[in-house]
Amino acid sequence: MPTFPSVEWFNAVKDIVNNDPNFRQLGTVDTVAGVKVGNKIYELTFEAFECTNVREASENDLRDMDFWLEQHYDAWKEMLENIKRNGAADLTHTLNTLDLSAPEGFARSYDGYRRDAFYRFNQSLQDFFNASAKIDTQFAAPEAVTA
Amino acid sequence: MANETAAIPEKLAQKAQEKGWPLDLVQQALGAGAQPDQLIGYMDQGVTAEQARQFLAAQAGGGVEPSAELKAKAEEVGWPLDLIQQALSMGAAESDLINYMNMGVTAEQARQFMAGGGQQQPQLDLSWMNVPTEWGTRARPTKHGLTLEAINIGKYGDVPDAWPYQTEMPRGAVPIPGVEGMGYSIFEKQEVWSDACAPLYEEAIQRRWRPATDVPWTSIEPLPDDVERAACQIATYLSEKAQMEADVLGRWEPEISYGYHEVKLYLATVIFEDARAVEVFRKRALSNGGGLGIQSPGWSFRAAVDARNFTEMVAIQMCLQDSLTLAEYAFGEKYAKNPAEKFIFGRALQDKARHLNYAFSHLKYVLLHRADRREELQRYLDKGEGMLATDDRKDNATKPAFAIYFGGGKDNINEGLAAYNAMRGLFVRQYLDRLKWATLDRTERLNPQLKAFIEQ
Repeated sequence: MPTFPSVEWFNAVKDIVNNDPNFRQLGTVDTVAGVKVGNKIYELTFEAFECTNVREASENDLRDMDFWLEQHYDAWKEMLENIKRNGAADLTHTLNTLDLSAPEGFARSYDGYRRDAFYRFNQSLQDFFNASAKIDTQFAAPEAVTA
Repeated sequence: MANETAAIPEKLAQKAQEKGWPLDLVQQALGAGAQPDQLIGYMDQGVTAEQARQFLAAQAGGGVEPSAELKAKAEEVGWPLDLIQQALSMGAAESDLINYMNMGVTAEQARQFMAGGGQQQPQLDLSWMNVPTEWGTRARPTKHGLTLEAINIGKYGDVPDAWPYQTEMPRGAVPIPGVEGMGYSIFEKQEVWSDACAPLYEEAIQRRWRPATDVPWTSIEPLPDDVERAACQIATYLSEKAQMEADVLGRWEPEISYGYHEVKLYLATVIFEDARAVEVFRKRALSNGGGLGIQSPGWSFRAAVDARNFTEMVAIQMCLQDSLTLAEYAFGEKYAKNPAEKFIFGRALQDKARHLNYAFSHLKYVLLHRADRREELQRYLDKGEGMLATDDRKDNATKPAFAIYFGGGKDNINEGLAAYNAMRGLFVRQYLDRLKWATLDRTERLNPQLKAFIEQ
């Protein structure tokens, strides 16, 4: 059972979407996105019709990403549990809704132009996280991502 | 030798009955050596029983017997019987022969045509084969397929700073003298270009969606009357805005010369996506017991319609106005009342983000290549923002409609208005951020009415 957050967890989701014809049907996705959970940062690379790479990254790497998704550990947990419960994010837990609900935003970037990749590929990114409903996620202890 | 008693497989008999082939004809064909699957194939291709009978007769060496109607027509125009029989045995249909006769084709012409195996052998001018274009090009598909970028190789990938041709000659082809001009008016790369055009075109093609069948329309359930009226007013406004952009861009397409076909192609997808927005928001308004609302005052529309050069239009319509539209789609997605609206706003959001990607990268391209246009662009934005502010003052429907929709009803109007102001704040902040990326700072020059949204 992969633990969130970890490279193993993102790779498990990556394998699901890369074998999912529905993900391909959403169209090409070309972006480098980050996921920040506490002090843990992961870089997800999407190219053409698939997620091609997942790796652990650093604060400095955020500058090279189009954008990154950042929220409190509890909010990540709530989002993923909502997806697991419903098979996909419900109306109040989509990436865009969370972005507009967080005072500092959920999708962040150092570049106001490249950040728009969050909008351009929004449904594919949503599909990526929705795919986590198909795996059993074990959540890391909060102190493991904040230490 | 014909075997009149050949057994007919059941599948073939059924097909013959379906296609109107008598069984005696089928038996005759089988007896002549035809295979059951072959006959089924002929029937599926539309070969009639009469054609088959004529073919078999010709095969048997007895010639093909023309119908009385064909014989009479042939006699009338002077086509001899043997010519008719020869044509029929070569597979000509009676109706075609009658047509040729009616068209005045003489017996001698028909005979010459058949002598040539049915093909004309004119003297061909093959000088065009020696065209001095770059020959031997072999573009290779990438992970994205055989994209526009993948075929932009060698001379074909050369996008000149100025395009010298008035005609529709494709870039990389060889011009010939005397061709009439197409009336293009844009011949400079900096006037239209962005390196993002080709990949954005491919992205738009790949990420298309279909409102009629992709939107989960049945998920829409009756809403309180005020919320439904607000939803319909918003849908009317967004549909109208999308139609206006499609009309404006449609007017610019024929101005752009063929040398910049990547821009023309990408703009075609923007027009298509605007059409899709017109469609989907109109459908939303008419899908839940409501209807259309009132039209917009249209002040900001005029600024885009009246633009006198392409970059002016892009700055006002695709940088300024589309930044607002994107924020409206994003907030629409957040406050969607059902999965259908969630889907509509979410997909429209993706499309609009592509439009912005082109628009701001074009602006940056202009500023990098024509630094002297900086003040000119600032003035366009002054004008566009001013018209947008006028719209805000004159429009008494859009703001309350969004506020009621966001708040979930008239009773929550304050909460709704706060969300509306947040939406306008997001629009202004993102608009300024994108302009900054394009090397244009408007922090101090921003219209005060728009600035107010980020100072709250």
